[in-house]
Amino acid sequence: MSLFQTLKLRSLAKSVFLATGLAALGAMPAFAQTAASGEPVTIGVSGPLTGQNAQYGAQWKKGFDLALDEVNAKGGVKGRPLQYVFEDSQADPRQTVAIAQKFVSDPKIVVELGDFSSTASMAASPIYQRAGLVQFGFTNSHPNFTKGGDFIWSNSVSQADEQPRLAKYAADLGFKRVAVLYLNTDWGRQSQKIFSEAAKGDGLEVVASEAYQPDEKDFRSTLVRVRDAKPDAIVLISYYADGALITRQIRTVGLTTPIVASGSIYSPKFIELAGDAANGVFTETNFFPGENRPDVQTFVTKFRAKYNEEPDDFNAVAYDTIILLANVMNQYDLDRTAIRDGLAHIKDVPSVIYGKATFDPETRRVPGARAVYLVVKNGQYTPWDGKKPSAI
Amino acid sequence: MTSFIDYTVNGLVIGNIYALLAVGLALIFGVANLINFAHGSVYTIGAYVGWAAITFLHTPLPVTMAIVAVVCAFLGVAIERIALRPLQGKARIAPLLATIGLSFVLDQLVQLVCSPDPRAVPSDLPDWRVSVGGVSLGAMDFLIAAVGIVSAALLYGFLRFTKLGFAVRATAQDREAALQMGVNVNAVNSAVFAIASALGGLGGLLVGMYYNHIDPAMSFQATLKGVVAQVIGGVGNVPGAILGGALLGLTESYGIALFGTSYRNLFAFALLIVFLLWAPNGLFRTGSGVSAEPLVGTFVAPSRPIRLPRWAVASMAIAAFALPLVTSAPYLLQTLTNAWLAAVLALSLTLVAGTAGQISLGQAALLAIGGYASALLALDLGAPAIISVPAAALITAALGTLLVFPAFRLRGHYIAIATLAIGEIVSLVILNWEGLTGGAMGLTGIPPLSFVGRDLDSNRAIYWTCLIVVVIVALLQNRLLGSHLGRTLRAMREDEVAAQSYGVSLDRYKALAFAFGGFAAGVAGAITAHLYSYLNNQTFDSQLSLLALTMVILGGMGNVLGAIVGAVVLVGLPELFRVAAEYRILIYGIVLLLLVRFRPQGLLGTV
Repeated sequence: MSLFQTLKLRSLAKSVFLATGLAALGAMPAFAQTAASGEPVTIGVSGPLTGQNAQYGAQWKKGFDLALDEVNAKGGVKGRPLQYVFEDSQADPRQTVAIAQKFVSDPKIVVELGDFSSTASMAASPIYQRAGLVQFGFTNSHPNFTKGGDFIWSNSVSQADEQPRLAKYAADLGFKRVAVLYLNTDWGRQSQKIFSEAAKGDGLEVVASEAYQPDEKDFRSTLVRVRDAKPDAIVLISYYADGALITRQIRTVGLTTPIVASGSIYSPKFIELAGDAANGVFTETNFFPGENRPDVQTFVTKFRAKYNEEPDDFNAVAYDTIILLANVMNQYDLDRTAIRDGLAHIKDVPSVIYGKATFDPETRRVPGARAVYLVVKNGQYTPWDGKKPSAI
Repeated sequence: MTSFIDYTVNGLVIGNIYALLAVGLALIFGVANLINFAHGSVYTIGAYVGWAAITFLHTPLPVTMAIVAVVCAFLGVAIERIALRPLQGKARIAPLLATIGLSFVLDQLVQLVCSPDPRAVPSDLPDWRVSVGGVSLGAMDFLIAAVGIVSAALLYGFLRFTKLGFAVRATAQDREAALQMGVNVNAVNSAVFAIASALGGLGGLLVGMYYNHIDPAMSFQATLKGVVAQVIGGVGNVPGAILGGALLGLTESYGIALFGTSYRNLFAFALLIVFLLWAPNGLFRTGSGVSAEPLVGTFVAPSRPIRLPRWAVASMAIAAFALPLVTSAPYLLQTLTNAWLAAVLALSLTLVAGTAGQISLGQAALLAIGGYASALLALDLGAPAIISVPAAALITAALGTLLVFPAFRLRGHYIAIATLAIGEIVSLVILNWEGLTGGAMGLTGIPPLSFVGRDLDSNRAIYWTCLIVVVIVALLQNRLLGSHLGRTLRAMREDEVAAQSYGVSLDRYKALAFAFGGFAAGVAGAITAHLYSYLNNQTFDSQLSLLALTMVILGGMGNVLGAIVGAVVLVGLPELFRVAAEYRILIYGIVLLLLVRFRPQGLLGTV
């Protein structure tokens, strides 16, 4: 049974369940939102389910499913259930172009999400642009991604927002000399550039800058270089898996230099993988489950109830994206061009990451993600109390 | 100065880990004369078995290690018995392909069972550390070193002084002769795979604990570094593998010290090339090392290629050309376009690997050179595609031939390993030469293909363009194979010494084969760049080289039509299995294994 059918059945089963539930309650007012019915509206997702980045595809799915539960329980989009078809691309450009053709030629697909990496996503952009199907890259921070055309959109947090904030945090913590370790991908390189520029303005001196490969596991020699540059703090521009590896090795080689990490490491997995070494790590995040905001709290409570685990950043963006698209479809229309136009016009969509999300129609991105300053204490992320560290 | 000591210590620490991987690979290489691409997968499974034992059974470390060793030993026996033994006496290349298929299957199984998420592997070793210079060593560092050195010493003693050890060495030297002397060659192979896999699994567990991190994608890098370390130590040489690991670790560490972290692998692969060229038998020059017999040539399974009548091939080509007139399904056309581009790559490789006998594991690098060349000509000089694509192909032919030129004197597996390294070096240079290539940011806004001022951006136009390229390259190659050039290349493949004594200049003919192959691959890479509009260092990765070789072997080495069939099958199968979502790569791996098992000479047979 294909994924497509599974989803269809699942949403069918759900609507039946909800319908009976509502009938049983009986007392619901007539205008109450009823479960969606009719021909489903389909979103095409291109992302990694196998291969090196498979874990991120799995995280996306959790966020999507949770958002769909919510959307479909509230009547879907224009009364019809919303669903997605997930095509595995392995984040390989040769496969994303085939998937793109599959999606653009399938009239049921009204909007496309993904892919994961820029390599994979941007190879497919010309196909989406030519066919007039919105390619919505929600993890694509490459500055040129949305320049692919007026059908290429992204709500990925712009590094131009994110990195200056990280630099500011490092400066607020009282550091003067920082060493930067960054992931040598388009995302990491871009982030590192913006960080270094912003750091200058904040009176920070970048005394070392080291690029590492995504599959690198050993950082001992890199850390000797870092140590010899005598930084006050080490800045990590990493994802959680590699960030945890580095953090652990910083402490096992006996360095006590404080660590400031970009928000992309924010995940319960980071603490699990880094162990005790995670304690004292400063980070900031667009999404913090402990944050006292209704959007965040609703998401976190529902996520915990459904999966019995803590949500991370990837879950949150995936969730946000489905909610955003459902809003666009409900306010505007269900065809491909209407969705493109809707993205340009829609204002203040509730969002876990942004608070309220509004696109800049010029850049086709969302400016102004919020951020919370955090520090890891006793294996927990806790809001930063404003105290400057003396030494770990 | 203290830093120098620190870099040395750190180099030895990581070298330790490489050594552990290299010992198992060396053992298998020594006996089966095979680069076991599934070794990394066994390593991954070992790590996960250990993780499961610790998490669910709360076993102490010695028990965990014993469990991992036993499970992986059985796994090794199973791999040998099920996947490799049936291939004995078939084409020498078939087992290599089988291990590639196996690694797909095993990695996917791990991912399906354990989820793709990385996991932490807690270790119950005491938390004491010793300071050396400015760095410190922990208990785990010593344990890994001990396991590596002790196992190498035990293996050395075992091979040297025990009866089974004699049998292993006899099998390694000459399988047929050993068989005649009454050695149970199958039992020997089983034993070797059991020991090597147990070691590989232990390696995975220890490294997982060391980093407190395991994930299903960790196997490919492990195989790669293990192979490099064992070549440096001398292929098939077990104690050499330990030293090879150490030397590799040190080189990487000093490389980082001198130029920074992003140059690490560049140093690793440059070291490999240096060894291949100046000391191909590794650190220990014991005799002639592994026999330098060709990988294909006389080892090609004697098969009669399936010859399709001319009218059948012609009508298939006409059908392919007519297809877009019948259907306009973009997905089908795109998949076939991908297949045509892959077919051009496979054609270039089948000439080099099949006809000329130079197995290349770095063919994707040629695509990268072609792609970047055409993209840069278009972006920086504003050259139209009609000029930039052929120019890029010429650049690829020249640069590609120049890069492998030093490897021309190598034989057998060494060529494969050297081209693998050259491919990695090309991709690392692209990553680090930011001024030219944009580094990790890549090149954006590459213009689409155009012809006399018109953009070729409809699916049909792109489909036909790619198909025309395939047909032209295939016709040229067919012509070449039928001429004296083809005969000379095949003669060289069968017996270099004999060919040379008949006055064939080996270097020239190899260069010719590589130049023609480079030109074809360059065209494919250039077209891909214009279609994608975006390139970066990951667009043409080393997995693609592996895939290209798989296509060639699947179609039949040296077989022109076979290369095209192989490309269509291997691009088409994963798309066909798309309905199977997460399971599709698993199914793909199994189909590959079955094909190798029942048709090792390739679908259309070797030429």
